[in-house]
Order: sequence, then structure tokens, then C-alpha cells
Amino acid sequence: MKFVFEATGLTKRFEQTIALDQIDLKIRRQSIVGLLGRNGSGKTTLLRHLMGLYLPTEGQVSTLGKAADRLDHDELVQIGFVPQEIQLLDWMTVGQHLRYVSSFYPEWDRDRQKRLLNELELEPSAVVGALSSGNLQKLAIILAVCHHPQLLVLDEPVSDLDPIVRARLLEFLLELLREDQATILVSSHVLRDVEKIVDWVICLDRGRVITDTALDDLKERYAEWLITSHNGDLPSQFSETFVLEQDVSGREARLLVDHSQSAREDFGATHRVDIHCRPLNLEEMFPLLVKEPTA
Amino acid sequence: MILVVDTHSGIPVYRQLTEQIRFHVSSGLLSPGDEIPSTRSLSAKLGVNPMTISKAFALLEEEGVLERRPGLPSVVRQRQDDRLKATRIKQLEDALRPIATKAMQLGLDPEEAVSALRRLLETDER
Repeated sequence: MKFVFEATGLTKRFEQTIALDQIDLKIRRQSIVGLLGRNGSGKTTLLRHLMGLYLPTEGQVSTLGKAADRLDHDELVQIGFVPQEIQLLDWMTVGQHLRYVSSFYPEWDRDRQKRLLNELELEPSAVVGALSSGNLQKLAIILAVCHHPQLLVLDEPVSDLDPIVRARLLEFLLELLREDQATILVSSHVLRDVEKIVDWVICLDRGRVITDTALDDLKERYAEWLITSHNGDLPSQFSETFVLEQDVSGREARLLVDHSQSAREDFGATHRVDIHCRPLNLEEMFPLLVKEPTA
Repeated sequence: MILVVDTHSGIPVYRQLTEQIRFHVSSGLLSPGDEIPSTRSLSAKLGVNPMTISKAFALLEEEGVLERRPGLPSVVRQRQDDRLKATRIKQLEDALRPIATKAMQLGLDPEEAVSALRRLLETDER
């Protein structure tokens, strides 16, 4: 099985609202995929389809090779899920909660649990109902990974964690990829974190997939060009379609582009300009990604 | 061998790695036959996706810089002196390209720019 998740023509409607609109998607095994998008773009709805928590209004989805409405014990034990809205049993202690959940999984890895409690700095004697939102996130993460899931789905997992714990968590996710050959799907607004570990980026906008590409490819395409003319003023506006934003002032200009190497050479020759090219990081290119199709 | 990556720069991490390893080989810090750390250990050390390391190694193998051996660590390949020299010059040219642009923008003629570089080289020699 090459893909852990496949969606064909997936549409999800909630009464009049179209949450997901004709989505075609394949998620490769053993990759770390970043799911990006603005609020309300459909990220959480899509993630819930992965586990059969939602079924499509139209189209097909399959997870670990099985259609979403037929997901059974064999598939579900291979999935780990950290939801955005964490609901746990408030009256238990952290330790009791871990024991309770682990009893459902014969393969529960106690060493991993112990190590993560230690690394993420979570006290087993603390009462769940009294945990801060950050500590609640930590517990949800530990609960989702100690059964060695083949597919780990994290919906905004780091938003309430401090930078030190966040860094440890990212390192641990890479370890899951190396040790367990897991596939990890992470939705997050903290693009600096996502950028550190993901190899693939899926971007949703208003329920549609607008980007489905390797992160490296995005980085090679999106750039800021600082342009200096060889002779005289530049045109007041550049009409090339790969120019997404521009600020021209006399002999100089700053452009944001979605380009290829040959486009750069052609542009330099056509306009007789020097181009200083600075590639954009994920945070800088994100506004361009969600804006591009309407431009 | 020290490798440094900036995951927030827009430059793909595999490119940052290939450039640094190429430089270490050209500068002689890495000699033919030297072993390169494994994909796994580099991934853990640098905190980057193992796929990224693998991609960098594949590219360097294609270029003839590294030799990957199944089940064994990759090693630096022996290269002919003229190839090595050509690579060194290419690396210097890449680094000088923005400087050349700057010189033109400052309106310096080639002679002036070259003598500025020569002065710096001679200062550093002392």
C-alpha cells in the first residue's frame, strides 16, 4: 500500500455550507505532511474524514486501504489522533488516564510513555481537570503515540506548548518517522514548526485543495526578487503572470514571484535588469499560496 | 564535519546540505575515503526529515562527490585534480556573483573591482 489516505471527489456539506469541495488527494506512506489553511478552510473537517468520524456527502475516501465507512478495529488501532478540542476524563489523574487508555492496546509501549512524560514534563499525579491547556495537549499527544500508530493525525498540536516543549515534540515526531516508519499529518498555524519537519504541504482554501506539493518544490518556486535596472527607469508595472506582487520605484523594484529558473533568466534578459533572488520561507509564502488562484 | 541548517530560510534544506558537503570536500576538510554520517544519525542530529538528508546524498552521489554503499556508510569519492580545481572555481564564482552585481551598481569598472578583491586576498595572507 503506497498511500495511507486517498480521497476522490470528496465533498462534505453541512446543510447549506460546503465544507469540502471536490477534493482529490493522496497521502504517501512515510511522509510528514503539513496541512495548512486559514480558519474555516476545511482542515479539521478533512482530518475527521481520515478516521471515519465524518463520512463524505459525495465521493470516496479510504484510509489504510479501507473505505471510510468500513474502518474497523484493524485499521483504527494503527491510527493515532490528537484533536484540536481535547476531551478527556477530568476526574482521573494523568497516570490513571494513561492506564485506562493503554488497556485498550495490547502493544502499548510503557517505555515510550515514561520517556515522553519526562521529556514533555508532565506529572502523572496531576488531575486531568486541573491541567493547563498546554499540559492537556501534552497528555493528548502521549495518548496518541504509545501504541506505535502507523498514521498519526495531529490537529493544531502545538498551539499551547512553550517553545522548549514544542522543539522536543518536533524531534519526537521525526523519531516516529524514523523508528516506526509512521506517516504523520499535522495541521497547524505555527508555520515555523511545520516547516522544520514536513516534506509535503497540502494547502486548503474554502474547502478546496489549492496546493499539494513537496515543500522543497515550493521553496524553489516562491521568491522575492530585488531588481535593479541596467539603464533607466523600469516599467511602472510588470505583466508577467508569475509576478504575484510588485512594488516598482524608478530603477528599482521588489517583486514576489512564483517562478522557475528559466523564467528568471528570461526576465533578466528581456528587461535588462539584475535580479537578486531571495527564496521565501513557508510563513512568507503562505499569503501568496492562499491568494494565488483568485489573482 | 559540522553541518548547519536553517529550516526557516527559503533555501531547501537539501540544497543547504549539498552545498556545505561539496564545500567541505573541495576545501579538503573531507578527504577521499572519509565516511559520512548516516541519514538516520544526521536526521536526529540536525532535527530534519530523513527524506531531506537522503535527497541531498542522492544528489551528491549523482555528481560524483559521494559514493553510497548498501549497508555501509557513504564515503567521499576520489576525484581527479582538474575536476576538483574546476569545482573550486565554480564555487568561488557562485559566491562572487552577487559581489559582481554590487560592483556594477556602484559604477566600479572591472579593474577597480578586481584590485579591491586582490587587496583583500593579500591582507588575509599576512
